[in-house]
Amino acid sequence: MAEKKVRILLGTRKGAYIVESNTQRKSWKVGKVLNAGDEVYHVTADPRHPGHLYSAVNSWMFGPMINRSKDWGRTWQEVATPLMPVSKARNPSFDLVNGEIHRPKHALTNLWHIEPGHPEEPETLFAGADPHMLFRSDDLAKSWSPVTSINEHGTKKDWGPGAGGPCLHTIIVDPTNHRRMYVGLSAAGTFRSEDGGETWRAVNKGVETPFQPTKYPEVGQCVHHVVLDAADPETAYRQDHGGMYVSHDGMRSWDRIGKFFDDDFGFAVASARSLPGRAYFIPLEGRSRVTTQGGLQVFEWNDERKKWRALMSPKAFPGHFGVHREGMNTDPLDPAGIYVGTTTGQLIYSPDAGKTWRQVPYQFPGIHSVSVTVG
Amino acid sequence: MVRVVLDSWMAEFGTPKEVALEAPSIGALLDALEQKYPRLRFRLRDETGSPRRFIRFFVDGEVVEPTHVMRTPLRDGQTVDILHSIAGG
Repeated sequence: MAEKKVRILLGTRKGAYIVESNTQRKSWKVGKVLNAGDEVYHVTADPRHPGHLYSAVNSWMFGPMINRSKDWGRTWQEVATPLMPVSKARNPSFDLVNGEIHRPKHALTNLWHIEPGHPEEPETLFAGADPHMLFRSDDLAKSWSPVTSINEHGTKKDWGPGAGGPCLHTIIVDPTNHRRMYVGLSAAGTFRSEDGGETWRAVNKGVETPFQPTKYPEVGQCVHHVVLDAADPETAYRQDHGGMYVSHDGMRSWDRIGKFFDDDFGFAVASARSLPGRAYFIPLEGRSRVTTQGGLQVFEWNDERKKWRALMSPKAFPGHFGVHREGMNTDPLDPAGIYVGTTTGQLIYSPDAGKTWRQVPYQFPGIHSVSVTVG
Repeated sequence: MVRVVLDSWMAEFGTPKEVALEAPSIGALLDALEQKYPRLRFRLRDETGSPRRFIRFFVDGEVVEPTHVMRTPLRDGQTVDILHSIAGG
């Protein structure tokens, strides 16, 4: 039986990369760049179909598109691209009515995230996009439908754009209940569905909006990223524009945990399968959006002990680093690998749950997203 | 027939360097191109029907203003170059 490979999937400003190692994670092989020159916001593996990878490409010349590999990235084919709907009520996106083509008023700007559905729905995929759109495919990306229930949510008039645009960037399917989903939108907040995406309610209670006069509105929070705890799907960790938070009730309410820091701004947050009850954050300075204290730092939040612990000295990787919302991720191994991709193209990782840190000796373009798959 | 010269970067969508098509306007020419090379759909123009920002159209060497692209008339014997613009970084 072939030894399993660990693959880091990078979306960068100039294409996608696959970086491979064995489960020891000591040395890495960087594969050839894919979609060279194009922004790739996200690359992800579909664990329901081993070998299937998806990339969300935003070509400056040819627009948004989705590519798929069925052989761990050796070959790629373009699949259907989600399109803006013609109207709230009308579907599919590009309508022929009485012999006339009706087109939407606005085009899709960027694709932000692709999320495989629950294992009970093996043909289902979700895609998040700018402007504030969730799409669903039930045929493995042969076609996409807009999820109108969230895209035209009753609170939409109170949504705003974040600096990265009005994007739907976080999609979570509860691993224990395929009908329960969460999405995160900038700057609208988090929303929860209990019925497979038919209805949604805002779940931002307790999350502050320091950038508007009303400090705790129902919606309008600029959520940056959210992950579920590895063992308890009712526990979620959130990096918001307004700080670092934890929820223990399925995002219905949030408690701020970031007051430990002078500034608990940041973009990335991660959890790891072999480390339940823990979450990983990278604090950034809110105005400059780069690391504080003169170097990269990753902090671990222990949710049982309510304690923070620095996993890295800022002297280890000195400088001012930016890390995007999907710029940190983990692998499912024990000890867990933790991986950080910076906006200046460094890929820094720990193969032992944060005890030691190394840099993959390769200069990548600015890294947007990091995903990790083992198989 | 209109002679259409395509940017080499478009080859990733299955297009040749040149193709000859019957089309009374650039809009009709794009309809015909997308029918002949379906992977070009939504690549030269988005789902609203507008040309993508960094695609440029030239008729007999003269640039066509982006706002006029779709309704620009064409005659037999003309050459349309479809190229990428100077951009990026």
